[in-house]
Amino acid sequence: MATTTEVLVIGGGSTGAGIARDLAMRGVDVTLVEQGNLTHGTTGRMHGLLHSGGRYAVADQASARECIEENRVLRDIAGHCVEMTGGLFVKRPEDTDEYFQEKLQGCRECGIPAEVLSAAEAREVEPYLATDIDKAIEVPDGAVDPFRLVVANAVSAEEHGARIETHAEVVDLLTDGDEVTGARVQHDSGPGKREHGLPGETEDIHAEHVVNAAGAWSGQLGEMAGVDVEVRPSKGVMVVMNVRQVDTVVNRCKPKGDADIVVPHETTAILGTTDEEVEDPEDYPEEGWEVDHMIDELSELVPILSDARTIRSFWGVRPLYEPPDTGTTDPTDITRDFFLLDHADRDGVDGLTTVVGGKFTTYRMMAEDVTDHVCDLLGVRASCTTADEPLPGSENLDRLESAMDDYGLRSPVARRSKERLGSYAPEVLGTDEPNPVLCECEAVTRAEVQHAIGQAGTDLNAVRLRTRASMGNCQGGFCCHRVANELHPEYDAETADASLDELWQERWKGHRHALWGEQLSQAMLNHTLHATTWNRDGDDADVDWDAFAGPTRTATDGGSHDRD
Amino acid sequence: MSTDNEDDFEPIQVFPEGDADLRPGADSCYKCSTCDSSCPVAEVDDDFPGPKFQGPEQWRLTRKEDQEIDDSIMKCSNCMRCDGACPSDVPLSQMHNTARAQYVEESMSKLSVEYWRNRLLANYGTMARFGSMFPRLTNAVMGNSLVQKLNDRFVGITSERDFPEFATETFREWWADRGGAAVESDEKRVAYFHGDYANYNTPEVGKAMVRVFEHFGYEVAVPEQRCSGTPMFANGMLDDARRAARFNVETFADLVDDDYDIVCSCTSCSMALRQEYPELFDFDDTERVSAHTYDAVEYLRIHEDLDGELEAVDDVDAPDFAYHAPCHARNQGLDGQTTAVLSNLGDVDAHDVGESCSGISGTYGWKSENYDASMAIGEEMFEHMDEAEPETGLTECPTCAMQMEHGSDYPVKHTLQVLEAALTDRPLPA
Repeated sequence: MATTTEVLVIGGGSTGAGIARDLAMRGVDVTLVEQGNLTHGTTGRMHGLLHSGGRYAVADQASARECIEENRVLRDIAGHCVEMTGGLFVKRPEDTDEYFQEKLQGCRECGIPAEVLSAAEAREVEPYLATDIDKAIEVPDGAVDPFRLVVANAVSAEEHGARIETHAEVVDLLTDGDEVTGARVQHDSGPGKREHGLPGETEDIHAEHVVNAAGAWSGQLGEMAGVDVEVRPSKGVMVVMNVRQVDTVVNRCKPKGDADIVVPHETTAILGTTDEEVEDPEDYPEEGWEVDHMIDELSELVPILSDARTIRSFWGVRPLYEPPDTGTTDPTDITRDFFLLDHADRDGVDGLTTVVGGKFTTYRMMAEDVTDHVCDLLGVRASCTTADEPLPGSENLDRLESAMDDYGLRSPVARRSKERLGSYAPEVLGTDEPNPVLCECEAVTRAEVQHAIGQAGTDLNAVRLRTRASMGNCQGGFCCHRVANELHPEYDAETADASLDELWQERWKGHRHALWGEQLSQAMLNHTLHATTWNRDGDDADVDWDAFAGPTRTATDGGSHDRD
Repeated sequence: MSTDNEDDFEPIQVFPEGDADLRPGADSCYKCSTCDSSCPVAEVDDDFPGPKFQGPEQWRLTRKEDQEIDDSIMKCSNCMRCDGACPSDVPLSQMHNTARAQYVEESMSKLSVEYWRNRLLANYGTMARFGSMFPRLTNAVMGNSLVQKLNDRFVGITSERDFPEFATETFREWWADRGGAAVESDEKRVAYFHGDYANYNTPEVGKAMVRVFEHFGYEVAVPEQRCSGTPMFANGMLDDARRAARFNVETFADLVDDDYDIVCSCTSCSMALRQEYPELFDFDDTERVSAHTYDAVEYLRIHEDLDGELEAVDDVDAPDFAYHAPCHARNQGLDGQTTAVLSNLGDVDAHDVGESCSGISGTYGWKSENYDASMAIGEEMFEHMDEAEPETGLTECPTCAMQMEHGSDYPVKHTLQVLEAALTDRPLPA
């Protein structure tokens, strides 16, 4: 199978999706391919901080300025993905006043609104802060849902004519002499939304230009074209707490360090992080001490964390990049700036541009730069409008908020659903069908799950990321099967079962890093429930299913009574 | 939470207006649903989402700035069975009480009939104070069927129930008349928290408590007091409850300083002082008062040879009883107490009519909209009462007593009255 497109974008993270949207809005015919589901890579494994720029205000002021600018843009165009929580840089007695002043000064130099709060004022904002803190700087940090944002970019790109292919892994780049002319992709189960049970196939996608936005994988893609892309993958751990101990982003006010941020994210709080170089972005150790380190360190800022329930942990790999011969040894010193590698210029290979480095908060700006570059090459004159056009789901949010319809849902369920769905809420929740809550922890209804299945097919992890179903404290123990059940009858029982298994395995992947205290009880309850009610601890092959067939009564009949 | 002392800034004061942040309490819930399956309201009302939603789920979904509590919280009867059911110590009733107060504060119109009806029911003591000034007149008016119909139609208080009659002499009037304590002691001292109901409606229970304790040589004090707060928590009137609780804590703390322990005859009152006060308020002496509070019979079982004394009694002028353990007694671990104590009496049998909730739960069953659910919850108890031989009811809770009477037409007594009859040789009052 072979197809053609003007531009092929490789990588369905924030950068790739942003580029696809920008190109499509400028009228370019674009195809995006992604090996997993959207945000499969680094974008889906971040703490969800919408930077005010405060974190870079001392060491990297150029990045800080970009952050505050894009922070404002995203609040405008992506209201349903962003929660403006505000942020604090908290100084403990052992942190220097000198750095505190530098931070304050830096914020002001970069145009980041910053106010000094006394310890009492800071504790009024966040009552669970340690009692012995000195003071804090308040900045407009926020929380952003990376998945919702990337999906919205992809949907917008599609609305402008783009083709988005997930579960389509690039197995080779197509070349013609010194020119890259496209890519060969292996579909997991055929093109379009994922349908288990369909055989995969290979497709050659020919393109006038190829954009490598594969993040931590961009070095491997570069190799396919014979160019060096020196990505230095660096891992960081994120620990997810069961509840929000804070409603504001809490940063430790000291120069770079591990374990210095707590981000309130939806129903949870996420602790981060570490910065350690790894060899392989797909195979690196996930270690218990990293999790302990987060909790121990951040308990100094928010003491209640030391006894709080952790529901899972996950690791992300940053695709850090530095130009050859910079020779930085500590990954925390590697710049967070992004680089556009014009391989024609740099390596004499035409038809290929790589974008590496950068930050999630400035993804749109990066996409704009890359799109400008590609449009230049293609001779497209249209200019960028992505900073002004709201993303799908974020249109007319003010008007929606004033419409008080709760769609017959209990108030916290209605509120959470509406926030996730944004402007899709009336269409999705305004159903005439019965609409029970399927995931109680995260307040997700059947209608929302069905809507997500409509977009993602049988990929229940993509459904999970769209809806948050199974992301609460039971980690799917009470809802995975209900979500999978929604695949039927459109998909057959075997497909639904395979999808359920996939979702459940993914839940376990992070859940297993939180097995102590209450979460251990949770895991055990999940296990026993699943084992006793649907034999999920047993091997299907050992069960004589035929014994259940037919009209005969089962062996649980206690025999005849005297009175019979 | 109380914000009495601004300097004493507690981390629990997260929400504006000093409301508590109970989100961390959701950490203990692993969703087993035992609370839901023990909730009597959820059992009969399919629209009620149950304690797991009301408590840990709703709190976990809460954010500082959006505190819209679902209106179903008003359907919780505050029986507190979920507290006892939870295998993991989720502070369920504390979550419900706090959420209910937020709901009333933020979402219920202060001009609505529902608000004022609830306020009236929650402040039963105030109503009773005026009513009992002219008890016969009040009883006649409240017992009038037209008045009852108007109450039902315009106020939302069910006309199916007969309003409890006010006594012609309150307990406190009797106490003052007799000149206070008849026994003096430096070692054995109890301060009696009688609550409003024993004062205005069933002074015979208060008298029984005094006589039984005096029989054992206790000096009884009956200090000034206000409602325990139970009906106020149940109606989300936390400000009213705070005022009453502060008064009670201050008064009784002074007596604790003078070596008094606090005893209650009503199991909801003891529940309030012991558990709800420390969960909801932090006056200076809240914890100390809580630690010194007991149910009256429980106190005697701890400090006296109650069993031995009763075994020695050979003739009691009392019938057999159909006994119902109130939910709030159950939560204090007292549900087996009455049957165990009375088993020492050779010729009196207290037959336990089962572990179901009576269904009235204080003011819950008085509301027109809850009447049917209240009776459906009580059905199991009514059946068991009917099947059991005794034709006199027995319980420690005044509103459970109302429900038992309402469903069976049996007269209903209090455990202390049986002890009084056995130990002081007085006949059980009719």
